[in-house]
Amino acid sequence: MRHAWCATSLGLCLLAGSACHNRGSDLAELTRSQTAVARETRLEKALADRNAAVAGKPLARWILPAPLREISGLALTKDGRMLAQGDEIGEIWEIDYRRGILVKHFFIGEAVKGDFEGITVANDVLFLMASSGRISMFHEGANNSHVAYNVVETGLKKDCEFEGIVFDPTINSLVLACKHIHDKDVHDAIVLYRWSLASDTTARLSKVTVSLVDVLRANGWKHFHPSDITIDPETGNYVLIASLEKTLIEMTPAGSVVFARSLPEGHPQAEGVAITKDSILIVSDEATAGPALITLYKWP
Amino acid sequence: MGFFTRLLGYMSFGSSHPLRRLGTYYAVLLIVGFFVFRFVPLLDGLLSGERLARLAQAPSLLQDGLLTGKIQSPEADFTSRLEFATSTAFILLSTLAIMLPVTWVYMSARSGHGHNQSVVQALIVLPMIVAGIVLIVSNSLALAFSLGGVVAAVRFRTNLSDARDVVFIFLAIAVGFAAGVQEITIALMLSIIFNFVLVLIWRYDFGRAVLEPTASAEWAEPLSDLAGKDKSGHKVPDRDLVLALTPKKVEALADRFDRVRSILGPNGKKPRYNAVVSVMTNEISEAQKTVEPALEKVTKRWKLDEVVTNTGKPSELYYIVRTRKSVERDALLTAIRTSGNGTIDSVDVEIGDALAVEAGEERRERKKQEEPA
Repeated sequence: MRHAWCATSLGLCLLAGSACHNRGSDLAELTRSQTAVARETRLEKALADRNAAVAGKPLARWILPAPLREISGLALTKDGRMLAQGDEIGEIWEIDYRRGILVKHFFIGEAVKGDFEGITVANDVLFLMASSGRISMFHEGANNSHVAYNVVETGLKKDCEFEGIVFDPTINSLVLACKHIHDKDVHDAIVLYRWSLASDTTARLSKVTVSLVDVLRANGWKHFHPSDITIDPETGNYVLIASLEKTLIEMTPAGSVVFARSLPEGHPQAEGVAITKDSILIVSDEATAGPALITLYKWP
Repeated sequence: MGFFTRLLGYMSFGSSHPLRRLGTYYAVLLIVGFFVFRFVPLLDGLLSGERLARLAQAPSLLQDGLLTGKIQSPEADFTSRLEFATSTAFILLSTLAIMLPVTWVYMSARSGHGHNQSVVQALIVLPMIVAGIVLIVSNSLALAFSLGGVVAAVRFRTNLSDARDVVFIFLAIAVGFAAGVQEITIALMLSIIFNFVLVLIWRYDFGRAVLEPTASAEWAEPLSDLAGKDKSGHKVPDRDLVLALTPKKVEALADRFDRVRSILGPNGKKPRYNAVVSVMTNEISEAQKTVEPALEKVTKRWKLDEVVTNTGKPSELYYIVRTRKSVERDALLTAIRTSGNGTIDSVDVEIGDALAVEAGEERRERKKQEEPA
């Protein structure tokens, strides 16, 4: 009887132990995994496909987990890694966009709260912009770490509600894209502010207004409210997307529109855009009825 | 509850052995846990700590949106809230289930000295509160500081009578913490190992000085000799009773046993003596000279049992006697007192079969009342 009892207990413990087995795996294992390798191969094949860009067919699409449901901005580091940021919490995520792997995340301070709208990288420093134009500066952190940060007030809150930010290395400035312009005299135009990173510059701030009257008329659009901005590493042109209008515009830094087009289907709320050195356009969508997404296209 | 007790009894093969019953309880808990986690996947993370890992977001593979026919949100708002509510309730109920056996062990281990009911209740409630606090604080340093401020403001302090009670309270906090960070496995293991270790320590009296005999070893034998053996051969059935006695109490008890045995005589025979007369006096020899002739007159037989000399208070003389039926208790006491001529402070008599006499008298009176009817 006693043996039966002992055997039963041991069996149950083993059973419970196997149920408790942690299924965690590290990044190296994930990167080497069959799925990851298959994904990368598929992406390479799709990139080589000449018809991919013409058809507006996604090269890849990754469904993001719940903590990233409010993904807002995208940025690429010098070594080509992609960073993403959420809307409400100062939390930065690194995503391996080629293989669809969530690599790491870290917090700004104690996960500060705010209305964060865009992120960019300049000379190893990360800049996170709030809709008020307030910019937090910090360095990249390790997984699950909390990094120290500094805050810069641009003082543009009264002028604009910002949605996108990008670093333009040619002028060593941050370019801030304005979504809603508070100046009622400005209509049908894109307003960009340039925030120089050169500390000795007396006039750090400059403003560029690009008229879109012709573009809007030609495409039959009513408005264009940029939700993010990026730079094409090949041409140095600015590429802006608008989530409300589901459109995309490429323009030169001087302000002449190169082309404008609608985003392909399947972008409920495009909030972030980035273009990689290997000519991949990445668009991030905030969760609406469905989950948050990252979609890869061949660029241009 | 009755069903649960029966189930435990059945699964432990009707054994009252505490280790078996504990083992059975945990086995039942593991089975229930296994099925819950098997069939309610959202709770699975609580057992494996996956939810924490998700918070930490260790590297993970994203779902492929192109291969999925219809893109579905991993978590809708309502679902996530429902999940949150369910998991919180589950965590709190788990702490209850995990702490119940700890309270049983506490009550058993402390039964000798009397357990503190408030500690028992604290052991149930405390881990739930701790788990709740940890859930609220989560990763927020600000919340943690706020909590520190609130606790400092409340200022509650309780002195625990026994250091071992503190150990139980610490365990309760540890279980609460583990549950709060959603590591139910750790909480369960803490409870299991703590309980079994504690029961074993208690069972084998671990930690006593090996050169000194234990209280039980010291007193069990003389007590069992005094008490005799029961049917199952156990000398002293109540071990806690033995442990609770001091040497002085045991000596007093032994004296009492001796006296009672003398009164009752060997089993199955009519006792030679049926009462103990105790005389308190400051002049032992004088009192003895006056009391013993009196006893000769009013009792069938008598014998000096013991003389206890005390300093600073009256000494005691104990006589075991066989009373005469014709001499009532009061008459016996009066006769001894009056014989003393002031040498006796007080006299008392304990009649062994007084109850039997009273019962006999009652019976006789009843008979008398029934006869005319």
